[in-house]
Amino acid sequence: MKQSRTHFRDNHFLQIALACYAIFWVALAIHPVDRGDWFLENLLVFATASVLLPTYRNFQLSNLSYGLILLFLALHAIGAHYTYAKVPIGFWLRDLLHLQRNHFDRVIHFGFGFLLLYPMYEFLERCAGARKTWAVWLAAVALAALSSFFEILEAIIAQIVRPDLGIAYLGTQGDIWDAQKDMAAAFSGAIIVALWLNLQRSLPDQATSLRRN
Amino acid sequence: MSGAALARPGGDFELPCSEEFYKAREGELRSVSQQNKLVAGLTALCAVIWALAAIHPVDRQAWILENLLVVLFGLALWLSHHRLQLSNASYIFIALFLILHIIGAHYTYAKMPFGLWARDFFGLSRNHFDRVAHFGFGFFLAFPVRELLRRFSGIRHGWSFWMAPAVILAVSGLFEIIESIVAEIVAPGKGVDWLGGQGDEWDAQNDMLSALLGSLVMMAAVAVMNRNRTGR
Repeated sequence: MKQSRTHFRDNHFLQIALACYAIFWVALAIHPVDRGDWFLENLLVFATASVLLPTYRNFQLSNLSYGLILLFLALHAIGAHYTYAKVPIGFWLRDLLHLQRNHFDRVIHFGFGFLLLYPMYEFLERCAGARKTWAVWLAAVALAALSSFFEILEAIIAQIVRPDLGIAYLGTQGDIWDAQKDMAAAFSGAIIVALWLNLQRSLPDQATSLRRN
Repeated sequence: MSGAALARPGGDFELPCSEEFYKAREGELRSVSQQNKLVAGLTALCAVIWALAAIHPVDRQAWILENLLVVLFGLALWLSHHRLQLSNASYIFIALFLILHIIGAHYTYAKMPFGLWARDFFGLSRNHFDRVAHFGFGFFLAFPVRELLRRFSGIRHGWSFWMAPAVILAVSGLFEIIESIVAEIVAPGKGVDWLGGQGDEWDAQNDMLSALLGSLVMMAAVAVMNRNRTGR
């Protein structure tokens, strides 16, 4: 499939978005609440950058996808700075809605599914050759699988680093169903966007078929 | 023989994706009746084992909950059978997984005698039969999942080996979510142990890991067999 390519020099949207993110990231890299935790969380950022930067020339995603990915990484940067369980917005939300815990981590898990579905769909449609409707649902499946895989990975890291702390190490804040709720947040985020994308696609078709009748 | 109900090549590990492929090779393929014999045989086998396991299960409530899955799964297979015929290998794998689950449901997994024996013999901390079933879920069902993906989604050959485990892991995660919701409704406050966690606080993660490993092992086996047959 031939895709139109834009040289980075001419892609003003991406230049501005990347610059905003870079400033945001550097600002939050100064005096994080826990430097070790900050570094661990930022492994995700380094991994994403090492995949997306070299592939820009030959496998370019749409600006919408890059924007969504940067938005997700920006939200993640906030969580990494404050170690998620201590994010001020989360505390404010907890007191406002009388919640049991700081739910900022759930917001990010939801954002993982919600914001990354479109980039994943674009990637699967172009790279894996999946048909359009299938690509949307397979993108949801891929994000659900990644979310589950992340929970497994987290569990393995926690067992290696602090076997004595158990699930408390992961910022569960006393929730025994933390893994399940995290996954449910990501799943629902992905499903909402997948439904919306498929609905949006089917609507114009229906409109034309109605006109024809 | 109706055009809609075309047989799949029996036990064929090479899974071409298009419906046209099967139509073009209709003459070479096994007859529908031959496959129907296999499906009928597998159905009968599962039914007999199910009926035996339905007599005096260890815990009737748990047995009913576990069998909701079997009923839904069987119903979906039965309703789709006329339009959607899978390969013989897929049907055999599905039947093997169902038998594994039927046995587990009879003993409520945590009290499965073989698992208890393995625990004592190898000095394990818990009855690991549920992990075996989760592994079996990935191992046996990755094959039919990959077959469906190849036939309907248009996904490339190489990608199907990764997307099938992704589907398995996603369904596994969804299952853990549903399980936790059911546990909170039926036995609030009892937490992971009501689900047969047996004191493992990483139960959900270990279950999902088992399913993932199972699906990856099956995909590796299929890839090796494919390479030997077709050289790609």
